[in-house]
Amino acid sequence: MALIFPAVSTLHRDPRLLGYSPYVSTLCIVIGVVWLLLLPLNEYSRQTYISENALLPGQVHTYFGGSEQHVFKAYKREVEVLNTNGTDLVAAKLDEIFKSAGLKVARQKYEYTSSGKRHSGENVYSILHAPRGDATEAVVLVAAWRNMSGELNESGVALVLTLARYFKSTKGQFLCNSRANHCLGWSLWSKDIIFLITADSKAGPQAWVDAYHDAHSPTSVSSLPLKGGVLQGVVVVDYPFSHHFESIHIVYDGINGQLPNLDLFNTAVSIASGQMGIGTVLQQMWKHDDGYRDRLRTMLRGMVNQGLGHASGPHSSFIPYHVDAITLQAVGEGSHDEMALGRTVESLLRSLNNLLEHFHQSFFFYLLVQANRFVSIGTYLPSAMLIVVNFTITAMSLWVQSGRPEAANANLRGHSGQTTKSVKADRVADVTPAQSAAVAERKLFLPLVFVIGAHFLGVVPLYIFNRSSEKVFSPRPISWPRATNMVYQMITIVFFSFTAFNFILPYVSAVILECYFHPTRQEILLIKSFSLLLLGMFLSALATLNFSLAFLIGLSSVPLTFVHPIPRHPKIAAVAGIFMSLLAPTMVLICSSIYWEIPVGNILIEAAFGWDVWGMWTQVVVWCVWWPAWLTGTVLLASSLVKSSNKQRS
Amino acid sequence: MTILALSFLLSSLVVFFASFASASADYHERLLLRPLPPSSLLASFNFRSNASSSSFEQQNFRYFPRSLGQILQHANTRELHLRFSLGRWDAESWGERPWGGTREGGTGVELWAWVEAVSDEEADARWLTLTNALSGLFCASLNFIDSTRTIRPVMSFQPSGHHSNSTIPNLHLLHGALPREPVCTENLTPFLKLLPCKGKAGISSLLDGHKLFDASWQSMSIDVRPVCPEDGSECILEIDQTVDMVLDIERSKRHRDNPIPRPRPAEELICDPTKPYASDEICYPLDSAFDQPWSLSEVFGRPMKGSCPLTESDGEDSEAVCINISDQRGIYSSPGAVEHKYPGGFFRCYKILDDAEFDFVIPKGQSENIPSTPLDHPLLYAERSFTGHGQERGGVQTLLTNPSHDSPVEFVYLESLPWFMKTYLHTLRAKLNNADKNSPSDKESLIKEIYYRPALDRHRGTQLEIRMLVPAASTVTLSYDFEKAVLRYTEYPPDANRGFDVAPAIIKITTPAGKPPLYIRTTSLLLPLPTPDFSMPYNVIILTSTVMALAFGSIFNLLVRRFVAADEVGTSWHLKASKRIAGKIRGLTRRVRRKGKVETEAKVK
Repeated sequence: MALIFPAVSTLHRDPRLLGYSPYVSTLCIVIGVVWLLLLPLNEYSRQTYISENALLPGQVHTYFGGSEQHVFKAYKREVEVLNTNGTDLVAAKLDEIFKSAGLKVARQKYEYTSSGKRHSGENVYSILHAPRGDATEAVVLVAAWRNMSGELNESGVALVLTLARYFKSTKGQFLCNSRANHCLGWSLWSKDIIFLITADSKAGPQAWVDAYHDAHSPTSVSSLPLKGGVLQGVVVVDYPFSHHFESIHIVYDGINGQLPNLDLFNTAVSIASGQMGIGTVLQQMWKHDDGYRDRLRTMLRGMVNQGLGHASGPHSSFIPYHVDAITLQAVGEGSHDEMALGRTVESLLRSLNNLLEHFHQSFFFYLLVQANRFVSIGTYLPSAMLIVVNFTITAMSLWVQSGRPEAANANLRGHSGQTTKSVKADRVADVTPAQSAAVAERKLFLPLVFVIGAHFLGVVPLYIFNRSSEKVFSPRPISWPRATNMVYQMITIVFFSFTAFNFILPYVSAVILECYFHPTRQEILLIKSFSLLLLGMFLSALATLNFSLAFLIGLSSVPLTFVHPIPRHPKIAAVAGIFMSLLAPTMVLICSSIYWEIPVGNILIEAAFGWDVWGMWTQVVVWCVWWPAWLTGTVLLASSLVKSSNKQRS
Repeated sequence: MTILALSFLLSSLVVFFASFASASADYHERLLLRPLPPSSLLASFNFRSNASSSSFEQQNFRYFPRSLGQILQHANTRELHLRFSLGRWDAESWGERPWGGTREGGTGVELWAWVEAVSDEEADARWLTLTNALSGLFCASLNFIDSTRTIRPVMSFQPSGHHSNSTIPNLHLLHGALPREPVCTENLTPFLKLLPCKGKAGISSLLDGHKLFDASWQSMSIDVRPVCPEDGSECILEIDQTVDMVLDIERSKRHRDNPIPRPRPAEELICDPTKPYASDEICYPLDSAFDQPWSLSEVFGRPMKGSCPLTESDGEDSEAVCINISDQRGIYSSPGAVEHKYPGGFFRCYKILDDAEFDFVIPKGQSENIPSTPLDHPLLYAERSFTGHGQERGGVQTLLTNPSHDSPVEFVYLESLPWFMKTYLHTLRAKLNNADKNSPSDKESLIKEIYYRPALDRHRGTQLEIRMLVPAASTVTLSYDFEKAVLRYTEYPPDANRGFDVAPAIIKITTPAGKPPLYIRTTSLLLPLPTPDFSMPYNVIILTSTVMALAFGSIFNLLVRRFVAADEVGTSWHLKASKRIAGKIRGLTRRVRRKGKVETEAKVK
């Protein structure tokens, strides 16, 4: 250590090092992005495999079929009739069907209010007690009455009802005699099976799983009268049409970018494609040629879904409770009928039934590039970390730079990292090492107040977007049809006014900063240093939890490393200012809404719903990490404009 | 072969029986069958035998099993209760538990005993002896009942036998439970061996491991207690063995050679023809209200092999098989058995001949008017579950429902929790769910008395006994929070990620004076604890071992090997010899090759 310290301190005094920092940052960013682009290659992604030996996917014969199809058809008719007759009777009828199958049934009402809109419904669920079990473990089979896009999940609900009856067919409907050995009543289930029909795909599952763990607020969600043991796995069936399907779309993203254990996904893939011969697709990649482009696109779509952190299916609500869940969605028009999907579900439940322990063997952090290939966290994490580390490197170099006396800094003026001139300037500074060795006293008060203030200011947009419409409509929350328009219009207006405000905010702040506080050059360096330091810290912590969100925010904050007050070049500063305004979180939101053709209002309503119901944290990261960093960077840029105009005036 | 063996056994037993005819009252067995809705059957086997205390002291065992008797004597155990249970009793459909819940245990194995000892330490030592000996006898992991799983209940259990006033001050009640123990055939075999007829004759011949452990719920119990007759005659030691099981009639009747549950043919489906879409292809299934036809041999897989000749030959005690079914239902029994219908209309018994196989058939319900067997409704429903999520803390909540409309229920709730579940007693709440304004709803009025013995890390678990009350027609939610302890690396079981079983809560319902108390047990719980990634230490071990091996190998090599220059090595005789031999061989081959060349050249020319 004694040898290292002097070396470090000379290195620290060496001004050349400061000159290199923008290059090092650039290098980190480039390597980070290239790293990500390399991941879909065979050398960096791996073939999936089943880690948990107990699962034995596809090793059982499935018997769902035959006369069960007649029952299925009848139940589907019932579902269709219920859909036309109105929603009031749904719960009662489902209750009756479950009861007639000999199962214990319970119902749960819920009512959430988000953005002034009421989301209410009634979940119906029944429990098949494992014949010899002791109520310690359970698996859940879910079908939402309406799927994520609001369509009637007719075949899905009918399939779950038929499977419930098939798994538990007792009550003496059939006379067993020596001739017909067809009496059901399996003693092979070791876990309870819970059949859950939720009223919708977004609020219903959340209400149910919250109440199952007693984490619900009793005002909006009623408690569950009937409970089983620890939930070991969840399978959601989504089959919203009557015709035969082509392949199974497996949806696996959870809330806040959490993922189910890879073993569950692999089991579903291996059962569907290996045992049943049904193709599997993921991330809405209906055509996948397993080439580099398709793999990359699959991975990026997965990253966007993960980064947004929203629920992608009814299964998403289970994942935060450490309950592994996936949605099986029937898609396309093909040759597989509902019985094939039923057999897939049967086989999947048999595999889950085999589990001796909670899912733990396989990966919880992965990126899928194709149904059979994945990238594990050890391989992909460096790419986000490299991008994030560039902020930290810049922050450190700014800190060192801020400690130099003004005279030394004079040589470095204009050094914003992009021009080679600054490097030459550094070399000039090198001639007088003694001068640069002295450390100027740092005035920390203004920079700290500014950066911390900016971060706390993030609470304002967070509150406005999540709560404003609630406040307006709070006396009487309105129900669906009327709500959609009113809330939508209102939130859109709020958003665009905030966007406009956000556009001028940096300039206003810069004027205030320059006219009232007259920050020195050192203080400006420190403001930027602290802002980037916080950004780097938050994002590197976030990268371990939600890689995609950290990567996406990191990538869109990259210019913050390079923006710097340039009072001598007001024109460049103005161009850079416009560029920065385009990179504001609000503008990114508008651009993405145009790209995906979703109205901004809908995104915001969904985000507010996510905040209120799902416990989604994406907005917090956007408004309290990304936005303050952007604001600080843009204010510094704007301050150079203000300075130059001040100079001209004087 | 088996028939020969059986007839031999029977004849020898007859001889045996004749010589001890006077003592026949010392053994009694009875099977009670009761149909349960929707299509289940409760079979309660009961075997009771006695030994006078003097013959027990002298180790003169006749019906009392010697193996167990000697263990009891060695461990100074005065009263013993051992339970093996599996599955759960569905109180909502099946009503009250058999024997009022006194002959059942929680999931897994449960054991409690009154041990005579002068001090707590001595009692613990004898308890250890007892559990280890029973563990060997019953092939169960009873030896894992250590101090962390042992409690000394204060309010929940009372001795059921008669103990003399001199022994009572020295009796120590110890209780242990193993909720994780899977009960299976290896526990049934020693259980049957304790019986005088050992599963060869009488009702015990119906006990087949395949059927017993396929039951929806089953409980095996052994109770040993001293009984002193009121007339002042000599006290006896009574052993009561019971096997209760709830069989699913349909599942039990399935043939063992074709157990695969395929969907039945479409023509066997019972459809609702009133539906507008009803057709051959579309079937809305209907329930049918028939009773199942069944027979003893179908349900148990074999007929009964006569009666056990050690039982009483006359009177009610000789009727070995009883059915709790309406008198209007016709039952066809095998010839020789004598049917005896009891008043009340729902109870009949059969007296069975010693040497004939016994079977009966209950045909399909002939008419809809036959009343089904009435069910007693339980006094209390209890359901316990975990609340909360995460690795750090959680909560337990028990819903206690009193279905009665007029009378409150008073009971003692006993929890025996493992030490790594650190309860916060201050969070204990009793909340009346449907609280009226004028009914008592606060903790004080519901909870009468609490006995709490806190856990000590790695030494003993938490014991919590609560005497409380549930008002009529209401539900009380009893809840408390706990913190999950982090275990040491070696304390985890091999399947750590499965979670840790928490023993069922035991509820003793106090009944009006003079009646024995009723017992209810909740289901066991699975507690997930924070679990390390066990493959990580494994990787570390492998990596360090490799590094160690490399380092050790190279250092050892350096230390041991002597480096010598090549010319320093002297020539030895065998080196010289081998060189010479090698030279000769080389010369030989060269000569041969040259010859060959000359020959070929000659040919070419």
